Amino acid sequence: MKFSFFHLMPYPYLPDDFDEKYDSSALTYPNANFDPKLGSELYGRYLDELEYADQLGFDGIAVNEHHQSAYGLMPSPNLMAAALTRRTSSARIMVLGNAIGIRGNPLRVAEEIAMLDLMSGGRVDSGFVRGIGWEYFGHSINPVKSRERFDEAHDLIIKAWTSPEMFSWYGKNYEYRYVNIWPRPVQQPHPPIYIPGAGSTETMRFCAERKYTYMSVYAPTSIVRRWFDGYRQAAADLGYVPDPEKIAFSVPVYVADTDEQAHREARPALEWLYRKGLKQTAEMVTPPGYMSPGSLRGVLASGMRVLGGFSYEDLLANGQAVVGSAAAVADRLADLYEKLGGFGQLIGLFAIGPSTHQQVMRSAELFASDVMPALRPLGVAAERTTA
Amino acid sequence: MADVVPTEEFLELAGGRVHLLRGGTGEPVLFLHAAGGAGAWHPFHALLAGAGFEVLAPDHPGFGKSDDFPDAEAIDDLVYHYLDVIDALGLSRPHVVGASFGGWIAAELAVHSPHRIGSLTLLSAAGLRLPDHPVADIFLLPPAKLAATLFHDPPPPAPAPAPGAPLDLDAIIAAYREATSLARFSWVPYFYDPKLERRLHRITAPTLVAAPSDDRLIPVAHAQRYAALISGAAYAEVADCGHAMYFERPTEFASLVASFLASHPLAESGVSR
Repeated sequence: MKFSFFHLMPYPYLPDDFDEKYDSSALTYPNANFDPKLGSELYGRYLDELEYADQLGFDGIAVNEHHQSAYGLMPSPNLMAAALTRRTSSARIMVLGNAIGIRGNPLRVAEEIAMLDLMSGGRVDSGFVRGIGWEYFGHSINPVKSRERFDEAHDLIIKAWTSPEMFSWYGKNYEYRYVNIWPRPVQQPHPPIYIPGAGSTETMRFCAERKYTYMSVYAPTSIVRRWFDGYRQAAADLGYVPDPEKIAFSVPVYVADTDEQAHREARPALEWLYRKGLKQTAEMVTPPGYMSPGSLRGVLASGMRVLGGFSYEDLLANGQAVVGSAAAVADRLADLYEKLGGFGQLIGLFAIGPSTHQQVMRSAELFASDVMPALRPLGVAAERTTA
Repeated sequence: MADVVPTEEFLELAGGRVHLLRGGTGEPVLFLHAAGGAGAWHPFHALLAGAGFEVLAPDHPGFGKSDDFPDAEAIDDLVYHYLDVIDALGLSRPHVVGASFGGWIAAELAVHSPHRIGSLTLLSAAGLRLPDHPVADIFLLPPAKLAATLFHDPPPPAPAPAPGAPLDLDAIIAAYREATSLARFSWVPYFYDPKLERRLHRITAPTLVAAPSDDRLIPVAHAQRYAALISGAAYAEVADCGHAMYFERPTEFASLVASFLASHPLAESGVSR
């Protein structure tokens, strides 16, 4: 099992009347509510936390991209990754990912990831995401074109990294007469690719065909199980069994010295994450065309509820958060490992909403010292366990 | 007069099938619907047909019972689409009436092929950008606020479904499909074509520009701008009415349109169909 420390870099200082007054922490939540001085302090603190995770022995430290939102303060994950290359030494630097569905210039993404790969000595993982619904409003990108833009940007970036010679690109969404990137990435043929999945069979097949890591987004265990099974089935249809490492389970994790303390501290943090950080209207979640009619039907029929509709107890029971003492967290993750049919990577959200710096650092320490060793042997390919 | 009952037909075009409702006898009126209400014969249609016109009401690509026509990606594709429709219907120069999104298509059609338009009626048409009078973001409006935006006097909200009641998946998917089709043509640029305004001088057909008095989606200034830029255009407002126009005040809109069409017969221009 490999473990990564994932950061959303939230802006936790929401006003007391947030629930009544605002539809969301994103898109329409006025940035007059953003205090740049506090934001600057947060960036320093959050980078410290990611660097500490590297020192603690996490296999990866992860950042992602969100726009116009208190939920996550990283419009550019590549900038954060660049900062991390200089003050970390062993952890993979995971960009999960660049939102290539909303980028105007995918060649720039190919260039920046190649730069990061060189700056980090080949430690970069490159996630690609479509960008979430509200970001199609925020960047005026037509959500109807989301998937074709994602697909074309992906194909272009991979070819830009791997083509032995310069080429021209004439696509439906992008045109370049000269593709000839400098620098090229150090990892060959290119940095590992991570793709989040949320039930789309097209995505499962896309990842299985290319042997990309398929990572879950926050959803109840029963639903994530269906996604992971779908990915395994897509691989089976192609005639292979995926390496466990290609399946990554993402979940908020909070560890404290006792179960009682952990729950007392995690409850408000998780309620913030799911009820405030992720608060958004249905129109923001699924702008027109963002989902295919078939995918929308699948999501509605699966009975998925809006995330804010879950209580703290539901979130724990559903496997949408793992909280407790180190022993309890190790037990619960081993249990989820069984319930999900196995996975080889755990992407933990350790800095949850308004958690304090001390809480996040202690949680990461306890996880590294007392949870990781217990789970390490799980989710490793058979040939390597016997080696 | 008894309500005119439409016949339903499908036009076979190269890119797919167009669903069309047809009713009444008289000079042909091609009606280009707003974002809502595709696939249905509304009281407005019946009233217009009853006033002595043959109303031809197709569903736009990706709306109602028409096919998606996925190759149609932008407003100019809809212009060519409707030239195909006019040809398939055997019309040479029909009256063209368009509302809201359909009004934008009608205006584009009229600047592209002025000789194919017998008369032009724009009912609170989209298509222009007035920096001081932005179009509201219809894609971000929740259903409750949508009615308040579209109607001067919003109808009472539908009763909330009982807790645990099954979702009407087909209806949700159908609505999402139409929103997706609307977004395909209108997300960006947002409900306008930056080149349209400077082309409006090409319109030669008699033109009526009409707006509801209380338009909270496309401010009335847009209709006034059309009227100012289209040579000889008549301008009218319907009182106590919101952007829903022919849903909120079908009688007034049908009567306004019918009297304009009657005063500009196609025969006058030497072409009957």
